[in-house]
Amino acid sequence: MSWIAVGLKKDVPPGIVIPSRLADTELAVWCAPSGSYHAWSDRCPHRGMRLSHGFVRGNTLACIYHGWQYNEAGSCDYIPAHPKLTPPDTICVPTYSCTEAGGVIWVSLEATDQPLPELGGRVPVRSVPIALSAENVAAHFGAGSAPTVAVVSDHDTVLALQPCTDTLTMAHVLASPDADPKAVSRWVEDLRATLEGVPA
Amino acid sequence: MILYDYVLSASCYKVRLMAALLGTPLILRAVNFHPAREHKSPEMLALNPKGTLPILQDGETVLTDSADILRHLTMDHPEWRSPDDDRWLAFASDLNESLGLARLHDVIGYEADIDTARAAGVTALRKLEAHLTEQRFDGLIFLTGKAPTIADIACFPNTALAPDGGFSLDPYPSIRLWMRAVRSLPGFIEMPGIHRLHELAHPA
Repeated sequence: MSWIAVGLKKDVPPGIVIPSRLADTELAVWCAPSGSYHAWSDRCPHRGMRLSHGFVRGNTLACIYHGWQYNEAGSCDYIPAHPKLTPPDTICVPTYSCTEAGGVIWVSLEATDQPLPELGGRVPVRSVPIALSAENVAAHFGAGSAPTVAVVSDHDTVLALQPCTDTLTMAHVLASPDADPKAVSRWVEDLRATLEGVPA
Repeated sequence: MILYDYVLSASCYKVRLMAALLGTPLILRAVNFHPAREHKSPEMLALNPKGTLPILQDGETVLTDSADILRHLTMDHPEWRSPDDDRWLAFASDLNESLGLARLHDVIGYEADIDTARAAGVTALRKLEAHLTEQRFDGLIFLTGKAPTIADIACFPNTALAPDGGFSLDPYPSIRLWMRAVRSLPGFIEMPGIHRLHELAHPA
């Protein structure tokens, strides 16, 4: 699996953590105050609480359960119940490759030397859930498992597809910088209604 | 002003939240809605023949509709009103009949056509997300503009509690940022299932 879009930069500003997923892998995606993005396994190594329920404090992500704080490398820096303890290196969260480019947050679950998908100067508009599998969405456009699908429209649109479950795909919509974002937003609502087979 | 209140009710929370944001004191009278069904007791029916909560009593005035109560509380607060509020107060009752009903079904075993409620809930969340996304294109975060109004307070509780009724809010980034903005308002109060922003409660 190569780079997959998991969200838009404008939807995850610095200091925010969100839950996300790539198929069976649950992710906590967060943005540090410096603006760097991170995608981690969504489990605190302490008691298994979802880290996406936690909060960004300084350059760390803190678990909401017992406040354990993890630095940007995913290593535990601080345990509130043992303030004098330097946590051992073994307490760390599994991390994945994550970067922001073109206003899109990209994640790769495996180490990869593949380039990020080319967006051709398009800009992000919005992210929309579609109640279908990613394969099913891509198949509507005759596409395979590519991370992005060009869709013919008046707005030069591309969908970056994020497979979530068999019945949920997040479509991160990009369009020509000249397009009216409201027009693109309504276009994708109509597209979703068509794909899901519900009258618009 | 006296609010006949049930702590787990989304509609009662609308009233408590609005009053807290305004700094208006309320006298709370807890009504045992579940399991005792005290809202159907003769005393409560004498006050509100519909047998519903919330009930706001302000002198001789008795109001039993949460939208009316929000209007009443903000009578002298034009900054909390917008010409677009009515549309969103109507939408808030759609949320109550879909997201809210599914929550009551899942949490306290309310009888409901749950498939219909769940489908209507997803439709409502999508509509809310689309509107809030368009607002953000215009640099606005709240439902009717730059500042919150009774529209936001009416729509916030059932949306924020939607996961109790089996709805995931994860796929709705604009709803997430809007809920964050509501939770950041000075004077914001919690209810079970809706907590304050942690970093504001415990500044680093």
